[in-house]
Amino acid sequence: MARAIGIDLGTTNSLVAFVDARNRPQVIPVDEGRLLLPSAVHYPPDGPVEVGASARRQAPQRPVDTVLSVKRFMGRGPGDIRPEDRGISRFDEAGQVVRLVVAGGRRSVTPIEVSAEILRVLKRRATEALGEAPGGCVITVPAYFDDAQRQATKDAGRLAGLEVLRLLNEPTAAALAYGLDKRMTGTFAVYDLGGGTFDVSILRLEGDVFEVLATGGDTHLGGDDFDRVVAAHLMARGLTPPCAEPTPAVLRGATAAAQRIRETLSSEPLVEADVELPEGHRLSARLDRAGLEALILPVVERTSGPCRDALRDSGLQKVDGVVLVGGSTRTPLVRRHVRALFGQEPLADLDPDTVVALGAAVQADALDRGGRDDVLLLDVIPLSLGVEMMGGVVEKIILRNSTIPASATQQFTTYADGQTGMVIHVVQGERELARDGRSLARFTLKGIPPMPAGVARVEITYAVDADGILQVSAKELTTGLEQAIQVKPTYGLGEAEVEAMLVESIEHAEADVTERFIREWRVEGERILSSLESAFVVDGELLKATERGAIEQKMAGLRQAMDGHDYLAIKAWIESVDEATKPFAERRMDKHIKMAMAGRRVEEFSEKARTTRTDEEAE
Amino acid sequence: MSCWSCNGPTVLSTSFCGSCRRIQPVGRTEDFYSLFDLPREFALDPGELERRFRERSRQLHPDRFAKAEPKERRLSLERATRLNDAHRVLKDWRLRAAYLLKLAGQDVFGQGKTFHDPEFLEEQLEWRESLALARADGDAQALSGIAARARFRLAALEAEVAAFFEDPEWFSETVVEIARRLSRARYYDNIVADAERA
Repeated sequence: MARAIGIDLGTTNSLVAFVDARNRPQVIPVDEGRLLLPSAVHYPPDGPVEVGASARRQAPQRPVDTVLSVKRFMGRGPGDIRPEDRGISRFDEAGQVVRLVVAGGRRSVTPIEVSAEILRVLKRRATEALGEAPGGCVITVPAYFDDAQRQATKDAGRLAGLEVLRLLNEPTAAALAYGLDKRMTGTFAVYDLGGGTFDVSILRLEGDVFEVLATGGDTHLGGDDFDRVVAAHLMARGLTPPCAEPTPAVLRGATAAAQRIRETLSSEPLVEADVELPEGHRLSARLDRAGLEALILPVVERTSGPCRDALRDSGLQKVDGVVLVGGSTRTPLVRRHVRALFGQEPLADLDPDTVVALGAAVQADALDRGGRDDVLLLDVIPLSLGVEMMGGVVEKIILRNSTIPASATQQFTTYADGQTGMVIHVVQGERELARDGRSLARFTLKGIPPMPAGVARVEITYAVDADGILQVSAKELTTGLEQAIQVKPTYGLGEAEVEAMLVESIEHAEADVTERFIREWRVEGERILSSLESAFVVDGELLKATERGAIEQKMAGLRQAMDGHDYLAIKAWIESVDEATKPFAERRMDKHIKMAMAGRRVEEFSEKARTTRTDEEAE
Repeated sequence: MSCWSCNGPTVLSTSFCGSCRRIQPVGRTEDFYSLFDLPREFALDPGELERRFRERSRQLHPDRFAKAEPKERRLSLERATRLNDAHRVLKDWRLRAAYLLKLAGQDVFGQGKTFHDPEFLEEQLEWRESLALARADGDAQALSGIAARARFRLAALEAEVAAFFEDPEWFSETVVEIARRLSRARYYDNIVADAERA
């Protein structure tokens, strides 16, 4: 049975970990022998995509083609791009989702695709380390991620060929790693300040259950903001020759210098540096710790509000302990701030960079074994889910900090005689007006039988699963016919597409059944594709290039069918893939029998597979 | 009733089949109280509710079924969702009281129904005024004083509602009296939130 892995898909760095045979979570070295894979993706105008440290090294020279901190754009639309992001990256703003223009203007990629590049590298390294493709994964997300951001993360996992068993909130993952390591019980606050996101969670650990009581945060607050304010300060003082509108290359260079200076000041009282920047600029910098702290204090103070709100929402007066997570909590000012906020010395015994990945591995392992003696995590939804009412006011249907999975229903009626359609606008957030919240989906429920105003009964059900992802269904009750539809709100999914799905389901009484078949066959297709991919890794040499090509053609057909809505087509493609891989399956069987008879062990074979792969990569 | 998997007999309102131990669908007769094996009463021991919630979550949560058959995964999601919904309602005295009324066929807050409470209007205006005043002055002490007074009122309302539920003589006015208090409690909750978030 292939082992499940835990992935920390971070703003600045990403990691992958697994639980070893002795039941200890381990981080797998991924990038040039290091544990942290910089979340940097370089798209050159020609040649293969680079990921990790080598990509990050390209950042100052190729600022536009190198994507850093892509996590900030996950599940976001062009309207969400902030002015400070525009200095470096180029965007294609024609569509519903953010697209970055890279490869010298030749490609435009979505944040999901960029994240999938990072995930592919992590998957490949994990496959090498485990000797086989991972059996499934847990990917961590900031607790404060909304539905669109979670959905985008899950899509990225799927795009990278990973079976995503669960999305896990980062502070919860950290608490899991801490709790198991330290055998803690009681109430805890997890303060997680990463490169680009801030989260705070209040948890109770009791009787092998980790219960999140409340969570808060800001998905646009982190170490990146420290670097930006420090870079702006240094450029205003010591950039020669000065320039009013720095180019992307100069900005990247100055930001990188600011990061190094900031990190050095965590241990040194004063830094003096003279840095060469691209395009003939130089930056002479002199900054002491007090100067740095004065610059970043406003950023650090933005974490206070969410902490106080979360503590109040948890119903607790104080917590028994505070845990620090995220590289930015190494900053001495941040530690002092946390101590003052919670009135106690925070714990930082585990490495704040790896603790989230370790917790994710523990959870992946627990899910994989379905073990009944493991600890259980009970997480909450970070932001309320509501529906827009007449006049643009939001009626909250599921309140924030509700334990997930959760559901709630609300009944609506028509306001005009003979009304046959109803617009349903799904909104997430705490604000009172729909236009201030995040719009998740907007669809028109059609096919309501005409009757006088106020007679029709439309019941809207919101259901949030254990990943924090929402499904909305609408039921028309008066006719006695329960016509249920399932809408998976995906940010950027065209209204026309959603509507088409809905009209279809209202018209055909069995539509909900069909939708379920589609889902089930998609899952089956996914399972077959991923098991074939693992088989290629281990036993790829059993196939001639032409044979493998033929199989891959069928797999591509299956993938295409899985994107469609015809479950019979998916079923047919699965059968066709099955047929095409029969000889391969037979040869694999023979090989493994021979191997067993020769007394060779599977490990040796994986070793060989690994060597072959490395050769391929070297070419 | 029989088990969907082994066809063996199952007892109503149990989460697992007695023979094959497979998870069972939520039965039509199960309510939020029976999910916890608790009597349908307003009075409730919060510690006991939490203990049973943790214990049942450990059995029913989808994480325990990540590798099970699709049908079992779906049932676990259904059951865990219902358990969480029940826990959310029972742990909050306002929601618990409204739920008990609903079980008794008195859905006082269903479908956008609002409770008319003219006598309370005057008091509402006074609270609003003092809140606005404290806010305008940025008077943190006055704000926390307002929050504390509103909390005190909430505690009193809870005690009154509890007394109504314990009263063996149940009149039709009792429902109105409880509904009135729940409606007022909603109002004080908003005062606390506004005073603390100001």
